Amino acid sequence: MSDATTREDLAMSEMTFHPQPRGGAPKPWAFPAPERGALPNGLTVLRSHRPGQQVVAVEVDIVAPLESEPEGLDGVATIMARALSEGTDRHDAEEFAAELERCGATLDAHADHPGVRVSLEVPASRLSHALGLLADALRAPAFPEGEVERLVRNRLDEIPHELANPGRRAAMALSKELFPASSRMSRPRQGTEETVGRIDAAAVRAFYAAHVRPAAATVVIVGDFTGIDVAAALADTLGAWQGSAAEPVAVAPITADDTGRVVIVDRPGAVQTQLLIGRIGADRHDRQWPAQVLGTYCLGGTLTSRLDRVLREEKGYTYGVRAFGQVLRSSAPDAPGGSTGASMLAISGSVDTESTGPALDDLWKVLRTLAAEGLTDAERDVAVQNLVGVAPLKYETAAAVAGTLADQVEQHLPDDYQAQLYARLAETGTVEATAAVVSAFPADRLVTVLVGDAAQIAEPVRALGIGEVTVVSG
Amino acid sequence: MPMGHTATEKAGSGGLTATEHRLANGLRVVLSEDHLTPVAAVCLWYDVGSRHEVKGRTGLAHLFEHLMFQGSAQVKGNGHFELVQGAGGSLNGTTSFERTNYFETMPAHELELALWLEADRMGSLLTALDEESLENQRDVVKNERRQRYDNVPYGTAFEKLTAMAYPEGHPYHHTPIGSMADLDAASLEDARAFFRTYYAPNNAVLSVVGDIDPEQTLAWVEKYFGSIPSHDGKQPPRSGALPDTLGGQLREVVEEEVPSRALMSAYRLPHDGTREADAADLALTVLGGGESSRLYNRLVRRDRSAVAAGFGLLRLAGAPSLGWLDVKTSGGVEVADIESAVDEELARFAAEGPTPEEMERAQAQLEREWLDRLATVSGRADELCRYAVLFGDPQLALTAVGRVLDITPEEVHAVAQARLRPDNRAVLVYEPTAADESADNDEEADR
Repeated sequence: MSDATTREDLAMSEMTFHPQPRGGAPKPWAFPAPERGALPNGLTVLRSHRPGQQVVAVEVDIVAPLESEPEGLDGVATIMARALSEGTDRHDAEEFAAELERCGATLDAHADHPGVRVSLEVPASRLSHALGLLADALRAPAFPEGEVERLVRNRLDEIPHELANPGRRAAMALSKELFPASSRMSRPRQGTEETVGRIDAAAVRAFYAAHVRPAAATVVIVGDFTGIDVAAALADTLGAWQGSAAEPVAVAPITADDTGRVVIVDRPGAVQTQLLIGRIGADRHDRQWPAQVLGTYCLGGTLTSRLDRVLREEKGYTYGVRAFGQVLRSSAPDAPGGSTGASMLAISGSVDTESTGPALDDLWKVLRTLAAEGLTDAERDVAVQNLVGVAPLKYETAAAVAGTLADQVEQHLPDDYQAQLYARLAETGTVEATAAVVSAFPADRLVTVLVGDAAQIAEPVRALGIGEVTVVSG
Repeated sequence: MPMGHTATEKAGSGGLTATEHRLANGLRVVLSEDHLTPVAAVCLWYDVGSRHEVKGRTGLAHLFEHLMFQGSAQVKGNGHFELVQGAGGSLNGTTSFERTNYFETMPAHELELALWLEADRMGSLLTALDEESLENQRDVVKNERRQRYDNVPYGTAFEKLTAMAYPEGHPYHHTPIGSMADLDAASLEDARAFFRTYYAPNNAVLSVVGDIDPEQTLAWVEKYFGSIPSHDGKQPPRSGALPDTLGGQLREVVEEEVPSRALMSAYRLPHDGTREADAADLALTVLGGGESSRLYNRLVRRDRSAVAAGFGLLRLAGAPSLGWLDVKTSGGVEVADIESAVDEELARFAAEGPTPEEMERAQAQLEREWLDRLATVSGRADELCRYAVLFGDPQLALTAVGRVLDITPEEVHAVAQARLRPDNRAVLVYEPTAADESADNDEEADR
């Protein structure tokens, strides 16, 4: 059997083929329902015991929208979030990092449109110690001037790296294009060179004083709590955090101009064009959300969805193009100011420079065909089976469960939202999914950002008639 | 507050066990039960990677991995993806220097489908493989190369470092993505020959982990894989043996349009599977893992000369492993300043070794990384295959954390002295070209 050709023949003649097996009966699984409570200091607590998950995930949501950053200080929320772990009343910055790592823990903090999120992961046996450090960071950050200054310089150094990254550059250009210049949404989340350069320890302390307090925060804690008194651990640590009562934060409704047009961010010599095609749509409070999730998956959720079936698997223009909906900021209908949220609906991917025109042409054909003919029942069925079926896989780890619970809190959704979403997805029909995705991605109301070589792509793109084409320097 | 030396009593195995089996055709099978969540992971490692490729055909193992998703005797076109996703599963495949892996994570009741699919392509891929899918996936892979390496600042750094650290002609001299010219040159006959040579049951390990009935699972494995003929056409891979150290510093300066200067370097380190490799992992963690490491404290916190600084370890079994340092400079700082600071820190570490506190932190971090990897059924399935393919014993996956925790400061000190030295590294320096310096990034211009 050393002759390779013979082996192929043998394989054909010897392998016994069997019909495709049919699955057994599904075992019940439900998205975990957290226990909700509060500490005496006003901190809301959501906890979920997940047997076997030895790495505990802790997420802290702090209501501090980017919109509340002072005028001209874009990025102060980011610098404040990073500075939380740069020294406290008990440890200086280096000691704090060392103590965290001594627990085998990771601590990340970042600021986005809805607020500041602090994420801790730590082996369960060292949870109490790590919670103590997390509490110190929230309760008594030192914000030393030298450390804040270093973080500002570091942030300034990061900006050129972000601008050089085609995906990041495209995202910034799309935000700038979609939202009115007066909106915080139009500007980079982590600030620009100009605004970051103005941030100092005083600005960071002021932002902290205005927003960071237990009554305006929620902690989500998920993992295997066997042998751990979680209530006591929380009371001893985050329970010591003090602050005034929370005042409601009103934010302005999100608006965007989705007139069909194209912006090319010029990158002479680029071998690929980064595409980001988007507009805004409703958030998860909208009844259409499940249908939109389903339809968007059929359009571009995976490599067997409509976009990749053509752009990747037929034409080879790309390694992959995805369509998605991502909530920017969200508030409940009964919040002050009512429902003011929105999501970014977008299609993103990269195609080789030469194929840019043909790829966009095909992409628009896919959108127009979808609008004209709708989804098929078979597509809808496979999408539901995937979206609902993968839930137990997707939520195997504590971090995944904690992340979704914290998102729900941040978006003013009920604790059983994700569980209900699966039920609603299963009930959503082909017609509803079609209607939702077609209204989410109308072919004539999409803003297209292309980061690529304008000299090569501008003309073919103009010829497509998908909107006025503007070129900006890269 | 006192903390134990280990985060878990069983040092990471969490009471997990695995059983081993072998079919008559040589397919090795590893099963591990865990009924906490109704999911099951299937993982198949073929003992073939880019190190098996020959000159002029780099990237073939990875291109071939793509072709494995293009259908087989009973699975049409993209059916593999469609069926797994339609059953509520997730899947993919990846190619590295030393292996190619394919994996599906399924709701437990759909496990049999994943086994059927993997067997179908192991036994009958060539009946479906045609010129059209090769041409299509060649274009997809070339776009993958552009997206992940060619169109990204510093994107080809790893390729350049590898090419320096492993000499011309060495099986690890090139990376799995391969070159554009070689991807263009790959023919259908190359792909067929590759399959016939390497895709045999006796050149693979299958692991199934999760909410499974082991007896039933083994019966399914026997049913679907058992009749696939074994094949012994594979030649032993070219030797990856090299001296322990480079024997002198290599250096390359790249002038490119990148956002800042950078200093990267690759150190030759001990082979994976040895105590010395675990010691090296701890040494790199003390020096450049996380935000309490020596290099982070020196370059980012104190000197403020770097935006980011860190060490990574590429563990390799068939050649020396690679320790990869990556430092991006701050503002106008010169690479020479970074380099002398790095050398001072390396020299100091070689002289002193780790402090007890540094050992504790490094071991705690590596322990958590292991717990993360073992937290999912797919992570566990992959590690069981890894230890079975590369070291002949899947059980080693369940005791890996314990081995890292068993390393002494003296061993960390010794490996740092022997390996983390200027004459054992390939250095890659990035100097940004001045091309676009005048252009303000937000200035608009109509054209």
